[in-house]
Amino acid sequence: MSTESDDNGLLRSVLPPERVDQLFDLCGAHGWKLILASAVVGALPPLFGLREGYMMTVISEMFLFAILALSWDIVGGQTGYPSFGNMAFFGIGAYTGAILLKDFAVSFPLAVVSAGVFATVFAAIIGLIVLRLRGHYFAIATLGVLLAAQQISRNLEITGGASGKILFDVPPGVVFYYFFLGVLVAEIIVVYYLSSTRFGFILNAIRDDEGKATAMGFNTTYYKTAAWMLAALFTGLAGGAYGLFNTFIDPQTAYNGAWNVELIAMALMGGTGTVAGPVIGAFGLHTVIEYVETAFVGWQLVMLGLAVIVTVIGFPKGVVGTLREYANEMDYYERGGMAATDAAADGSGGSDVAASTTDAADSDADTEVTRDE
Amino acid sequence: MTAATANADDAVLRTEGITKRFGGLTAVDSVDVEVHEGEIVGLIGPNGAGKSTLFNCITGTLTADEGRVTLQGQDVTDWPEYKIARAGLGRMFQETRIFGGMSVRKNLLLAAQEGGADIGGLLRRPDDSLLARTNELLEYVDLGGLAETRAGRLSFGQQKLIEFVMALMSEPELLLMDEPAGGINPSMLENLIEYIRAANDEEEATIFLIEHNMDFVMEIADRIYVLAHGERIAEGTPEEIQNDERVINAYLGRE
Repeated sequence: MSTESDDNGLLRSVLPPERVDQLFDLCGAHGWKLILASAVVGALPPLFGLREGYMMTVISEMFLFAILALSWDIVGGQTGYPSFGNMAFFGIGAYTGAILLKDFAVSFPLAVVSAGVFATVFAAIIGLIVLRLRGHYFAIATLGVLLAAQQISRNLEITGGASGKILFDVPPGVVFYYFFLGVLVAEIIVVYYLSSTRFGFILNAIRDDEGKATAMGFNTTYYKTAAWMLAALFTGLAGGAYGLFNTFIDPQTAYNGAWNVELIAMALMGGTGTVAGPVIGAFGLHTVIEYVETAFVGWQLVMLGLAVIVTVIGFPKGVVGTLREYANEMDYYERGGMAATDAAADGSGGSDVAASTTDAADSDADTEVTRDE
Repeated sequence: MTAATANADDAVLRTEGITKRFGGLTAVDSVDVEVHEGEIVGLIGPNGAGKSTLFNCITGTLTADEGRVTLQGQDVTDWPEYKIARAGLGRMFQETRIFGGMSVRKNLLLAAQEGGADIGGLLRRPDDSLLARTNELLEYVDLGGLAETRAGRLSFGQQKLIEFVMALMSEPELLLMDEPAGGINPSMLENLIEYIRAANDEEEATIFLIEHNMDFVMEIADRIYVLAHGERIAEGTPEEIQNDERVINAYLGRE
């Protein structure tokens, strides 16, 4: 404990944990107002003259990536199933949208909704298979799904094969700006609400100890699939609009593996398993990537790699998660943790506590102590 | 064994001829047990006797090769684990298992069966009566101040209590406890005995428990089954078990 306070001496004096804790309480108490206020702020720029050009595109992309990162986090963060195949939902959405718009002359709203529905149905089918796997096997299987989907779209005629599809009659940029913002706000509302419901608790329980959740009576496959479909719905909606937004899709852009890594990095950097984390991570990392792309052309992937390494080593819980830990580090002692232990302990309780505060968080989720009986 | 005992009708749990083999090893060999409503029944035996394996066959974690498991008169032998749990079987694990990333309160809310699995229940926020019940139970085990603390931060003994309270929260018809006294200090053990007794008396919890701590099990159990090498070698009250030749030879040893 003492070494930790020494390490954080400067941080403590500038930003005491109590302050951060108050901030979290404040955000918690006014969550809905905060979401509403953010949505309003997000909606303002076009009303004040930002209607086209580079900034318009960059901000729209920030919204788009926030949708993708938050979707990834529903399964990857909240449920603990890290997927490398979320871009498959995006690609299916993108191709559904593009084919309906171009080949069937369907209206933009209908095409986008269909894209979301297609991606969700696809997720239901794939989910029943891959969600039976855990850990590395799940990650590899989802990557396989992404690569297979990409290859299929390359070989089909309706998708335009390897040369893809070019789209005309593109609506003005402001349409996409508000579309991505709208989907993002809707998704934040849904995830925020769900995280306080029994459904949300079950997802977190699956993340922490799926075996125990099953032993408590939860058919985990059912909940995982539902979460997976929800993630696919929002990813598919975003994909459905992306073809027009980009005016062009091909297998490489629609099923973009690098993007999949990018959106995982965003969720990790912001803080997995939180609502604000993936959104903050998406805004932050996309800003950095855009900057590097313009200032140091060709270095953006190097930058991305460095960002991932630094995050995983230095802040495995991301910005929001790290701040929360920092804010709550004294919480256990203040709320009677020691007192409760002392009352029932024979003196060894103190060291128990110290040990559990430092590593219990990470260890108890994935340590299986299977003593022989 | 079908010629059941006199009070067989109130059997919450009955296993008949449960056998589980791992390759050439017969871990559980045709074991019959019965647990009646309101009882605390102990299951003891040396390491490797098949106690946990028997538990796993009852809960559906493992599928028995032979035999039947009946829970409140219902044959649950081939049911999946989650369905057996939902039918009223609660379980505490040998290695304490709670959801470390979630707050203590969420752990308890999750354990509550009301709210169930229907869409409406899943999408509702927990109501006040449920929150009140979590407070009540946490106060009961003197952990009232820790409701919002991340469960993974608690000490081992506290986590064990939380797992116990979670089991109570689910109001199971039968609670299986795998070494509840394992790894906790003597004074906390006294508390735990008191809590288990109270749960049995006041909440009318029926309990089936594996335990190596003989003082604990002799004090708390109404009846005891003894397993050795997968076979049931004895059954009886704590006094009978303590004086049983086979049990002394196989497990208890001589003083």
